[in-house]
Amino acid sequence: MSKEEVVIRIGGAAGEGVQSAGSVVAKSFSRTGLSVMTYNYYQDIVRGGQSWYQVRASHNKVRNQGDGLDVLIALNMDALVRHTNPEINEGGASPLTGIAIFDTTLTGYKEKENVIYCPVPLSEIAGKHSKVSLVKNTVAIGSAMASIGMSFEVVADVIRDQFGGKGEVAEQNVSAAKEGYDYFTQNFKKLDKKLNYTNKKKYLLGGGEAVGLGAVNGGLRMYIGYPMTPASSALHYISSHAKDFNLFVKVPEDEISAINMAIGANYAGLRAMTGSSGGGFSLMVEALGMAGMLEIPLVVYEAQRSGPSTGLPTKTEQGDLNLVLGASQGDFPRIVLAPRNVYDTFLLTREAMNLAEKYQTPVIVMSDLYLAEHLETVDKFDFNFKIDHGLRATDNMKNYKRYEYTQNGISPRAIPGQPGLMHNEDSDEHSESGDVVSDAETDPKLRIAIMEKRMRKLDSYVKEMPPTDTYRLDDAEYAIVQWGSTQGVVEEAVDILRNKGVRAGVIEINRVFPLNPDIPRLLKNRKKIIVVENNFTGQFNRLLKSEFLVSTSLIRKFDGEAFYPGALAEELEQEIKR
Amino acid sequence: MVTVADFNGTVKPDWCPACGNFAQLSAIKAVLAELGIEPHNTVVVSGIGCSSNLPEFIKAYGFHGLHGRALPVASAVKWANPKLTVIAYGGDGDGFFEGTQHFYHTAKRNVDITYIVSDNQIFGLTTGQASPTSEIGFKSKTTPYGNIEEPTNPLTFGLAAGATFVARGFSGDPKHLNEIIKRGIQHRGFSFIDVMSPCVTFNKLNTYDYFRKRVYKYEAKDLTDFSTAYKISQEWGDKIPIGIFYEKAERSYIDMDAVASQTPMVDIEPVMLNEKLVEEFL
Repeated sequence: MSKEEVVIRIGGAAGEGVQSAGSVVAKSFSRTGLSVMTYNYYQDIVRGGQSWYQVRASHNKVRNQGDGLDVLIALNMDALVRHTNPEINEGGASPLTGIAIFDTTLTGYKEKENVIYCPVPLSEIAGKHSKVSLVKNTVAIGSAMASIGMSFEVVADVIRDQFGGKGEVAEQNVSAAKEGYDYFTQNFKKLDKKLNYTNKKKYLLGGGEAVGLGAVNGGLRMYIGYPMTPASSALHYISSHAKDFNLFVKVPEDEISAINMAIGANYAGLRAMTGSSGGGFSLMVEALGMAGMLEIPLVVYEAQRSGPSTGLPTKTEQGDLNLVLGASQGDFPRIVLAPRNVYDTFLLTREAMNLAEKYQTPVIVMSDLYLAEHLETVDKFDFNFKIDHGLRATDNMKNYKRYEYTQNGISPRAIPGQPGLMHNEDSDEHSESGDVVSDAETDPKLRIAIMEKRMRKLDSYVKEMPPTDTYRLDDAEYAIVQWGSTQGVVEEAVDILRNKGVRAGVIEINRVFPLNPDIPRLLKNRKKIIVVENNFTGQFNRLLKSEFLVSTSLIRKFDGEAFYPGALAEELEQEIKR
Repeated sequence: MVTVADFNGTVKPDWCPACGNFAQLSAIKAVLAELGIEPHNTVVVSGIGCSSNLPEFIKAYGFHGLHGRALPVASAVKWANPKLTVIAYGGDGDGFFEGTQHFYHTAKRNVDITYIVSDNQIFGLTTGQASPTSEIGFKSKTTPYGNIEEPTNPLTFGLAAGATFVARGFSGDPKHLNEIIKRGIQHRGFSFIDVMSPCVTFNKLNTYDYFRKRVYKYEAKDLTDFSTAYKISQEWGDKIPIGIFYEKAERSYIDMDAVASQTPMVDIEPVMLNEKLVEEFL
């Protein structure tokens, strides 16, 4: 593995503090100016089982959880055996080639090659500083950070933050970590790593928080959501900052209520959004179509997890694309965005708020567990953004028609409370003025006109789409097409191929529907087009082929885990040779 | 000066002649005018069903949404802009079948809206099937051998859920109905009004005559007395009480919200993000 990066993994059972230990490690790196990404492998239980948390850091840009493992903190025997066993492969995760840190009380394991065993009296040291048994994790963090040459002061600061300042508990943890740090230094040899630590702190956050920040930057005023993994990270962030951001936040009785409330608020002129995972989104389907029919702006955050049904609640997948594309009866304009990383999530959620109001139609922001729950560093936020409320009617406007036929399909919106613009918004088919046409008399000509008016809005959106992003595509013989969260892994896999002399490049789709008309040009004259996605049937592949009539190959993964760059590069290479 | 005519819509109601919904439409318009509430400050949200077509026939801000889903839309409209008068309107199938969970929770939340149900004890728009309030033995297209399911009692349900205003009206007594709707709109909090509204086409049991023989005007001695309200609400059969059963002043949902209780949401400027607000991620 490169000396310019490090991968640390903490393995243990649920309830053993795996995640909070992992976040201390991650933050220590982001505060020393390194680029960081974390990966959380966990189950749908509160206690027991086997979970682990991985942190990858480098002064170069880190784009995914990474191959390889340098330092393992094993909180129990199972973790020590599991992560050092080359036979065991947790959805693609690497076994340890490096240092294992564990409590001296763990004995009787069979030593593996490529593993440097570093037993540290974690519990004994912890007991000297605190009565809380989880403090042994802090001792282990101290040892791990010593093993890669991180300054202790940085770790101490992060621990203080984690335990709420300079109180007794915080100081107990700091002193425990210090002893773990010193114990390692005195007894074992450091790893040979060349990481350029600086004092330029980076932001460290997850996709859920990025949704919240993006929405707020895009003028969010109300968030209505019902808890469901992995959409809850956004709900939690937004709820905990309701006062800071002047937001009205509500968890109502179900997702049906949530989306209807979000629609009601937008109707009343307040930017509102809702969010869920596939199960909750399925309940929202009918109302999504209503927003399309009534031409009410609406942003829905859809964070996918492994389906079908309850599926693998804590595992990732990109299996909801068919659902999102086909959600609700009939045809109506919808925009589907799929951010590729944490900062892209911020940017696209923010843009979604404007698009929804500009085109007066639903915009769905699709993420997944991998993107919604891992942490990633962001160098800088650009908060400069202009809120566009779209076309609004003026008070007492003459001959006001809510659904006036216009060239771009966008009609002036009136907000309840505005004088002289009273009208009815109807889920039944209606005329320009909003009067229902389905009951008393049905007029085919009018139906055609109003359908075409609504659908024209998509043509207008397509015209303003920015060019599709690509990576090393210019001279590529092989075009790899990815959508959403797989960006970082696919880019790195392409780097691996390029190092072997294979001319591959990436077409990166974060605007999934409608697809950008510039894509056929990018696909042209390639020896092979390979679509990579995290689902069984190749849902995006099918969309791409049907839209552009191209021939493609497909690489899929549906074991609940994300792609890994090394394994993906191998699969791509095989596919290219085939 | 607001007049009833100000609320006259341009579309003629498509209800059957003598449908109970007419009396409710007239009552809503008359009350809004009497209270001086202007059409542009009025939002009428409905679900799906014959009665739910009402927003098409009144000049106000109308929202004709989905079957059973009027209440969440109406709640959010009120939360977004409390200066608006928000009326949710629909039928018994809409409110007590498909929308039951919203009815329960909106009542419990005490959202400051008025919920009027045109209760005709049958599905009318879908041409005559038994509804949640159809009586035992009631024959319809879907209950040819007679309904065997106990009917929902909307009043005890509303009371149990925590509605702070619970009343029953009768479309055959417009004057009395006007008074109830007026009190409901004036009430701050969730007002629930179940209106016995004969379906002249499909319900041959619960007719105007059926109700005229049975209804009596109930006058509560103490409107805040929950157990008496609950007891009277259970009366049904030879004698059917109409009137206001329960009213209690409680804080409405928005009065307790950390942000919205201070200023109407629509009047709060969005927060501009800055580096300080993302410091926690450093």
